[in-house]
Amino acid sequence: MDFEPKILGFLCNWCSYAGADLAGVSRIQYPPNMRVIRVMCSGRVDPKFIFEAFQQGLDGVFVLGCHPGDCHYLEGNYEAEKKFNMVSKFLKLIDLENRVRLDWVSASEGGKFGEVISDFIDQIKKIGPSPLNTNNPDLNLLDKLKAIEIAAGTERIRALVGRQRKITEIENVYGEIVPLTKFNDIFDKAIADEYIQARILLSLEKDPKSIKDLAIEFNIDPSEVLKNILILKSRAQVDMEKIIGITPIFVKV
Amino acid sequence: MSKEKKENEDASVGAFICHCGSNIGGLIDCKALAEYAQTLPYVKYSEDNLYTCSETGLASIKKAIKEHNLNRVVVASCTPRTHEPLFRECILEAGLNKYLFNFVNIRDQCTWVHMKQPKEAFEKAKDLIKMGVAKAVNLEPLQTVKIKVNPTALIVGGGVAGMSAALSLSKQGFKTYLIEKENKLGGRLNNLYKLFPYDLDASQVLNNMISKIQNNQNLTIYTSAKIKKVTGFIGNFEVEIEQDGKLINIVVGTIIITVGTSLLKPTTLFAYDGKIRITQQELEVKLKNNDLNANNVIMIQCVGSRIEERQYCSSVCCMTALKNALIIKEMNPNANIAILFRDLYTPGTYYEKYYRQAREKGILFVRYNVNRMPELNEKQITVFNEYIGNDVTIPYDLLVLSTPLIANSDNKELAQMLKVPLEVNKFFLEAHVKLRPIDFATDGIYIAGSAKWPVDITESITQGYAAASRASTILAHTTLEVEGATSSLPEWNKSLCRGCEVCITVCPYHAIKKNEVDEIEIIQALCKGCGVCGATCTKQAIEIKHFTNEQILAEIYALGGREL
Amino acid sequence: MIENSKSAVVIGGGIAGIQASLDLAEMGINVYLIEKKPSIGGRMAQLDKTFPTNDCSICILAPKLSECYRHPNITLYPYTEVKKVAGEAGNFTVEILKRARYVKEEDCINCGLCAEKCPMRVDDEFDRQLRKRRAIYLYYLQGVPAIMTIDKDHCLWFTKKACRICEKNCERKAIDFEQKDEIIILENVGSIILATGYNLIEDIDNGILENYGYNKFRNVVTALEFERLECASGPLEGHIKRFSDSETPKKIAFLQCIGSRTEHTFGYCSSICCMYTTKEAMIAYEHDNELKSFVFYIDMRAGGKGFQSFLQRGAEEYNIEYIKSKIAQIKIDEKENPIIVYEDLDTSEIKQLKVDLVVLATCIIPPLGIEKLSEILGIDLDEYKFVKTLPFMPIETSKQGIFTCGCVHEPMDIPRSVAEGSGAAARAAEIIRGG
Repeated sequence: MDFEPKILGFLCNWCSYAGADLAGVSRIQYPPNMRVIRVMCSGRVDPKFIFEAFQQGLDGVFVLGCHPGDCHYLEGNYEAEKKFNMVSKFLKLIDLENRVRLDWVSASEGGKFGEVISDFIDQIKKIGPSPLNTNNPDLNLLDKLKAIEIAAGTERIRALVGRQRKITEIENVYGEIVPLTKFNDIFDKAIADEYIQARILLSLEKDPKSIKDLAIEFNIDPSEVLKNILILKSRAQVDMEKIIGITPIFVKV
Repeated sequence: MSKEKKENEDASVGAFICHCGSNIGGLIDCKALAEYAQTLPYVKYSEDNLYTCSETGLASIKKAIKEHNLNRVVVASCTPRTHEPLFRECILEAGLNKYLFNFVNIRDQCTWVHMKQPKEAFEKAKDLIKMGVAKAVNLEPLQTVKIKVNPTALIVGGGVAGMSAALSLSKQGFKTYLIEKENKLGGRLNNLYKLFPYDLDASQVLNNMISKIQNNQNLTIYTSAKIKKVTGFIGNFEVEIEQDGKLINIVVGTIIITVGTSLLKPTTLFAYDGKIRITQQELEVKLKNNDLNANNVIMIQCVGSRIEERQYCSSVCCMTALKNALIIKEMNPNANIAILFRDLYTPGTYYEKYYRQAREKGILFVRYNVNRMPELNEKQITVFNEYIGNDVTIPYDLLVLSTPLIANSDNKELAQMLKVPLEVNKFFLEAHVKLRPIDFATDGIYIAGSAKWPVDITESITQGYAAASRASTILAHTTLEVEGATSSLPEWNKSLCRGCEVCITVCPYHAIKKNEVDEIEIIQALCKGCGVCGATCTKQAIEIKHFTNEQILAEIYALGGREL
Repeated sequence: MIENSKSAVVIGGGIAGIQASLDLAEMGINVYLIEKKPSIGGRMAQLDKTFPTNDCSICILAPKLSECYRHPNITLYPYTEVKKVAGEAGNFTVEILKRARYVKEEDCINCGLCAEKCPMRVDDEFDRQLRKRRAIYLYYLQGVPAIMTIDKDHCLWFTKKACRICEKNCERKAIDFEQKDEIIILENVGSIILATGYNLIEDIDNGILENYGYNKFRNVVTALEFERLECASGPLEGHIKRFSDSETPKKIAFLQCIGSRTEHTFGYCSSICCMYTTKEAMIAYEHDNELKSFVFYIDMRAGGKGFQSFLQRGAEEYNIEYIKSKIAQIKIDEKENPIIVYEDLDTSEIKQLKVDLVVLATCIIPPLGIEKLSEILGIDLDEYKFVKTLPFMPIETSKQGIFTCGCVHEPMDIPRSVAEGSGAAARAAEIIRGG
């Protein structure tokens, strides 16, 4: 049976939604796989929406905003770009990054709207259904996705995303511009850290585990786990429940 | 404090599926869609209409609301961009808050674009209706805020733009304050001799304007006065003015900025000395005082402008040079005048004629290339003329340097006080270069004249009137109704907020601030409802009304259909 | 808000007229916005993008069109002309002729079925005669009001008493061949604002353009035609192809000052062409990275905000070469490729350049019909037939109470037109609000 993807699209009221309407008025035909959620600005799209969409088993998510410089709310689309950037980095950890796209369509680009949608649907058709789009979704992957949603929702990540434009383009609190490469180093590290910490927390929520248990579960080095357990412990997010032999068992607080 | 019990527990949704003639109904079965809608959670009533937007359709909605006690309405038809206001008005007339309405687009984004796939279009319509209903269930009534407008205007800067604005506003019947930092009105007009392209006397035009505004009961003028502090927002700006050490406090509804510009003194260019190598302004003073003793005059255009460090064209210098050259020629027909230029800026109907006049009067125009600047000697200029392909040496006893208008040095201070932006050259930055050239992004503050960008007197005056018009659109109202679908920090989330101020960083309208007790406050009057703060808030505490996380997630869950 | 029975009449629904109307309406003043064409929008609706930001023209215009349409204080009279004006400042009486569309406004929902069935093909004015529309048509897709209009001059029923297919197919029964033109008298008009925009030199029967190959060679087009060609909603959907062989041009020559700045045609400067040419070249480059553009100019005029850096970007990032020159001749080779013969003013040499397409930056001229309209209003025109304005008061005409804004009195760009629209509104309001 031919795979028909189910795509969720976020369209901004002033440009892309209007462009989609124009495609309609011009009777431009495109595949019927997308379902639209209208927002006022592409900058409204909270990363959590995208992660929830994948947890719901959708095969692809599309965010369409105004062209850079044209945002009805002046800068919302620039913020959308930064959020999308963060989403992509997280999704890359679980090989889902080719299931999301951010693009710009103006209110007068009915044709372009049709093209962009058709293109994305083709792309998703080629890579097949989402591993979560079945009656028996990959539970491991679902867990990872939940961890990503938690990690992306931490203050640290959200603050980095929210401040990115200001500190890389204008100035930080010290009056300096942080070069993009330096920012990305900090950002990438934060993403890696928060992800593993979220995974640890989710895992310990189910039942207490040792460092070795977690290292096997995540298929990473025990020293990596230890490092993050210590950080979580210092934040009082995990604690040592007991010691079996010489092995400490940790539990979520 | 937990969130108040939402009304969705008692949500009673009415779903109206439109045929739109055959535009929708011709491709998919609207009756079946209405039946499907009836099966959705919280849907109390559904029907299909031929034209929901017609008078009969609207009447049907109102009837259903009353008969079935509906408190949410969903219409599935064309596009909210044209028809949402219509249906909102409709349910308002039936006694519901207008924000309890949701629109589902099954025409422009469904039947019209999937004309060869009716089955798929039908399934898509079902999904969209399911999502639309799920959102509607979570909608809440919203109040628009009414703010009082103080029908007074403040104009900062008493040059021609400011005076024009002041004149118009006071004539329209609004109380107006005009403040000027110098001890007299007129701005740069005080320094000019004659005005192009009519060659009218500057002081005459100035005195004319001043006499018009002086006899105005609605207008209060403060000279030698500056703004010290501004707080508040549109309709209610509290301004502290300092005049000769005294403080004056006023409350105004709108503020117009007309602070003008300064002239670049080319201290490092062409051995400027203020005596025989002077600026155009200094030349005007000489001409006014009949103090010109020069027979050979060279004017150089674009001195200090259209270069790497100052890329813009100051637009008035070419006409100024032509004007002064013509005046010199008139005073001394034997004078030799050469104008060295790169591109001559004389656009429009009047200015081109003026240029032709100058050429006909025997003024020499020599074009130079920015890559090959004219060379200065003690008594002559050598410039490469591309037409003859060789250097030309021209003697001078007066060298006039046409320098650009530059932003005032105190623009930054003023910009920070008003929370308005400056662009790269430090001129004030308007909301939108094309369609909102006189507004700032911050509501209630307007910009006109050279403070925005170098313009001639004609355009300064026009912009002054334009600013008066813009201000008038606010001042003419006793109250302003502000959009209800804005951002807010709900009471029950205040404890979540840690004061990180990331929301303040991302708001382009400066609608968020910290109050006296260091709490985050969102000023509904300034919020445009874009939702960026909500999507960015590090504690996910900010809520975007009418596009809340719950409402959007409800749409996503309805689409996915999974229980989590 | 002051209760006021006086109204304002704005003649012309382009961006200047729209801005004036919106400002006046927001001040609580009743506005009658009169527009000759079936929808408002004017020239700005025909543009693809606008300089110097290159934002999509319709995107920034459409919200203003909706606002005009929905504003309780604005009464829109599209497809209407002004026939008589009497009275004086503070108390004008304006007689307007609302032309019959033969379509009932309340019933038409713009579904387009009627146009699909119409057998007639007519040159589309909005698309500068580059494609055909039907005899029943929508002036342009995003136009407001979005109501069909029957072009009486080309409709088979009016010319030959045949057809009426549109009527048979309209499900809303919106077609009404019995509709009549309506005369409406607007009284108690306090101020009038004239904002009827402009035409271009190619709209009048003028031999000047033929000197540059227009209407002679197929690969010579005017700037506004080129704008429609590169527009995503234009006749070629933005895929620029030249008319002789449908090839995509890789070399385009833009010629400035066509018909302007010369004493034997129009002596003034058309003001906006230097900027819009760079814009058009930029858009064309965005469509095709292999494109090279040549701008043949006399003086590059870029004094507005951000304009100079716009030109700079064009030269540095969009493969545009600016050649200060005087054009001697345009000729073509056997493949209809245009050849520009010109004097390079930087080197004083005579040169030739072969290109694939030539775009002429044609001169802005006063709107057709301005002479009749000026008589009706009782205002003076200047020597070029633009509306004459007072020194240092470009928004005042020679008659008190009648104001003007936008290109009808001098060629200008959009920011200036918008500012003038607001300025005219202020002056109009002074009379209406008393004082």
